[in-house]
Amino acid sequence: MEFNYSYFVTSFKQALLYTPVTLKILFVTFTVSFVLGILIGAIRFYKVPFLSKFFSAFVTVYMGIPIMVALVLYNLVFLTCYTDFANFFHISKKINEIDQIVIAYVALIASNTCSMSEITRGGFRSVDKVQFEAGYTIGLTKFQTFRRIIFPQMLPVISPGLLNLLIGMLKSTNLVSTIGIMEIMVASLYPCQETYSYLEGYLAAALMYWIIGIAIENLGHLVEHYSDKYRKKPI
Amino acid sequence: MIELRNVKKKFGNNEVLHDVSLKVNDGEVVVLLGPSGSGKTTFLRCINFLERADSGKLNFEGKEIDLKKARKKQILEIRRNSAFVFQNYGLFNNKTALQNVMEGLTAVQKKSKEEARKIALDTLDWVGLKDKADFFPSQLSGGQQQRVGIARAVALNPKVILFDEPTSALDPELVGETLAVIKKVAKKGITMIIVTHEMSFAQDVADKVVFMDGGVVVEEGSPDEVFYKPKEERTKKFLARILHQDMYYI
Repeated sequence: MEFNYSYFVTSFKQALLYTPVTLKILFVTFTVSFVLGILIGAIRFYKVPFLSKFFSAFVTVYMGIPIMVALVLYNLVFLTCYTDFANFFHISKKINEIDQIVIAYVALIASNTCSMSEITRGGFRSVDKVQFEAGYTIGLTKFQTFRRIIFPQMLPVISPGLLNLLIGMLKSTNLVSTIGIMEIMVASLYPCQETYSYLEGYLAAALMYWIIGIAIENLGHLVEHYSDKYRKKPI
Repeated sequence: MIELRNVKKKFGNNEVLHDVSLKVNDGEVVVLLGPSGSGKTTFLRCINFLERADSGKLNFEGKEIDLKKARKKQILEIRRNSAFVFQNYGLFNNKTALQNVMEGLTAVQKKSKEEARKIALDTLDWVGLKDKADFFPSQLSGGQQQRVGIARAVALNPKVILFDEPTSALDPELVGETLAVIKKVAKKGITMIIVTHEMSFAQDVADKVVFMDGGVVVEEGSPDEVFYKPKEERTKKFLARILHQDMYYI
């Protein structure tokens, strides 16, 4: 096996070209599942009647489904049922006009929301009961107490878990290629098809993922550092 | 005026409050005494709904509220007109002393930042902690934290302040500074309900002493009446033990 440097550069350039796609998937998935995860975590923590039981069951069941299976399954359902669905609701958009990235979002977000809700639930439980009560006694509403007191104290606790999940999310974005979406992984392998030498392509993809991963990690440590200023450190 | 009637509370099968009633006039300082497990703290927490009573009525400034069926809005109104000082301080860990005091002023009373800052600094000065304004709770001693807690309560200018054993988590050296601040609050003429084990302080500051045991009010009256001429056998026993203990320490 010979390593061809110029092919590696070509592959890396291709990967660079599709980096925005991966980053977009990552950003949208993370943001949406973060918001939904906090919402579900809060519903379960505050024991909202009915909903808390429902989501507890949902998270337990859904956590067991691999992202890959979900992706292919949703894609299959979409391909077979969309036309009937569109007819029924009088949606004029044709099946080929819909970007398949939507399906990728649904699968990635659903799966990551479950993990996210468990992380935030841990965050809620880490905050002392008296912090909630102190907020209520000065006249803050439940939501104000959460936003101004509880969430800032949750952040340093959940941020290592969030960072971990975000890195995992980055690495799972390449699964979307199974339903035909071009991203870093597929793009960097593209030039290799000329030579059937895939080493350069995989190395280029690995390098790209590693660069993004390092950037995210440093960002995460920054968040950890700034949200953690008020706490006493053990020696 | 605050009046509570027939407050009852159960935790599972354990009936903590049997049938407690209490009337507090404006500007009055009421001290709740009693052995641990007598329901003092639970009773105090029922007043601003940190604990939901099983039954009972609350009359707050002429408004009648059912303790069991109170709605969100009513609860919020009670909480916005009262303040609570916790046994373990209950300061917001993520905020500095100054921000702790400002929080209620800006978020609840919707005062401007400058105005809230001025009030907060004045109040911190009043409890002798102006120089600690930018310290986080984790950087303050227990006594200082509790004084910030009291400043946070006073700054909101509430109709009543509820103290839940404000000195029992402090070491003896720091109790004095905290009690001195509470005395200052009393002099301001704010209505207060205090749960405490500090007998001499209670005698000094209280207008009315309420002795509770086993979830009922055993005896109530002026400090002199309750401390020197207790009528009930249970009160006498409790006082004898407490006073004896005091002598032992001296």
